Amino acid sequence: MKIIGVAACTVGIAHTYIAQEKLENAGKKAGHEISIETQGTIGTENELSAKQIQEADIVILAADVKVSGRDRFEGKRVIQVPTEVAVKSPNKLIKKVEEVMAQKQ
Amino acid sequence: MGKIKELNLKGHLLTAISFLIPIVCGAGFLIAIGMGFGGLSQGQLVQGEFEIWDALATMGGAALGLLPIVIATGISYSIADKPGIAPGFIIGLAANAIGAGFIGGILGGFLSGYLALAILKHLKVPKWAKGLMPTLIIPFFTSIIGGLIMIYLIGSPIAAFTSLLTGALNNLGSTSLLAFGGVVGLLSGIDYGGPINKTVFAFVLTMQAEGVNEPITALQLVNTATPIGFGLAYFIAKMFRKNIYTPIETEALKSAVPMGAINIVEGVIPIVMNNIVRCLIATAVGGAAGGAVSMSLGADATVPFGGLLMLPTMTNPWTGVAALVVNILVTGFTLALIMKHKTQEEISLKTDDDDEEDDIDLDDFKVI
Repeated sequence: MKIIGVAACTVGIAHTYIAQEKLENAGKKAGHEISIETQGTIGTENELSAKQIQEADIVILAADVKVSGRDRFEGKRVIQVPTEVAVKSPNKLIKKVEEVMAQKQ
Repeated sequence: MGKIKELNLKGHLLTAISFLIPIVCGAGFLIAIGMGFGGLSQGQLVQGEFEIWDALATMGGAALGLLPIVIATGISYSIADKPGIAPGFIIGLAANAIGAGFIGGILGGFLSGYLALAILKHLKVPKWAKGLMPTLIIPFFTSIIGGLIMIYLIGSPIAAFTSLLTGALNNLGSTSLLAFGGVVGLLSGIDYGGPINKTVFAFVLTMQAEGVNEPITALQLVNTATPIGFGLAYFIAKMFRKNIYTPIETEALKSAVPMGAINIVEGVIPIVMNNIVRCLIATAVGGAAGGAVSMSLGADATVPFGGLLMLPTMTNPWTGVAALVVNILVTGFTLALIMKHKTQEEISLKTDDDDEEDDIDLDDFKVI
């Protein structure tokens, strides 16, 4: 399945990027196509394209702070967790996401 | 409780703090350099009567004086989105005017955000007036209601409370200083930049915005020292012919230590995850020691972030160095002592198993 997401932490220089890396690795490991945008202090990086958003099955927001551009995900199924969860338990998070998808289909 | 959680108060505060940190860092360095070279932060710079150091100190001082406004605007924006910015700004200024300071700014931000949100939701206007909502109705009504509440109702009590708090902190005796520093250090040492750390951070940042620099210095020195302590532990353990890290962990340390030097504690998380209890003990003990030293010597960085870069902004940089050294040594020795020796066999085993991960707290997991 196609997963997209946004990572954003308070200070915006560490957790954000660790969460991105862990989520992408865990997602790829589980055989998904995954892309995580980072909203750090430096600004938005690895920005999600309109096409990516349109094709995505689910959105993961791993954020402690307000995510900018949330309206982009309107109508999508969105899962929100603190960055900490993505940092500590990325594989379990992806599994949980799969469960959510399975339930609602 | 569920209702309160839904409001996401902490999330809004953290969003505002994320806007605040770069401002405090930039301004903190300006004022530190300016005052370090004999400049003075002045209300107004009179043409021809100031030096460059006065200019730097004044820029920094002016920015730091605006912190209540920044936090109010940030919180209000986080709650109500763009329509929250204008009233947050105005109510933040009201908080400053009545002397309610940073705490006033925080409460003012929430007030402003929820008021703006309420007007947005409940006030229905005819179509022709839609354009007036964000430009006039929300900023005017939110500001007049929130601003007057701030000035006539909550401002003065907050101002009194704030001066009581800062007064108490400034007059702490040496034993209480030791204890307070110990607690700050301990709390920040035990969750590696996680939620406890951030909560303590919000509190000590409030203190700094009120001009009390010591608590935040203690906190950040602990965050700086922790990863370096992990690095030192490697060498101490080696002296006793003990292997406490796997090769993967040693590899992680190579980036965790330099990251620590600039105040990012999170680099050690992968190592901590493999051995939570022992690492926690070592960082808590080290953090308590470092925090206590920092507070009792009075290390007082004017910037809230930066690791070793914070040292030159202190009145006496050696106080910060002393706190760091104590913290690093205590954490390092404790780790080297209590971590288990890893045999060759364990070292070759890669621990990248799903089962090792923490279970996800369902409270943290929101499907929208």
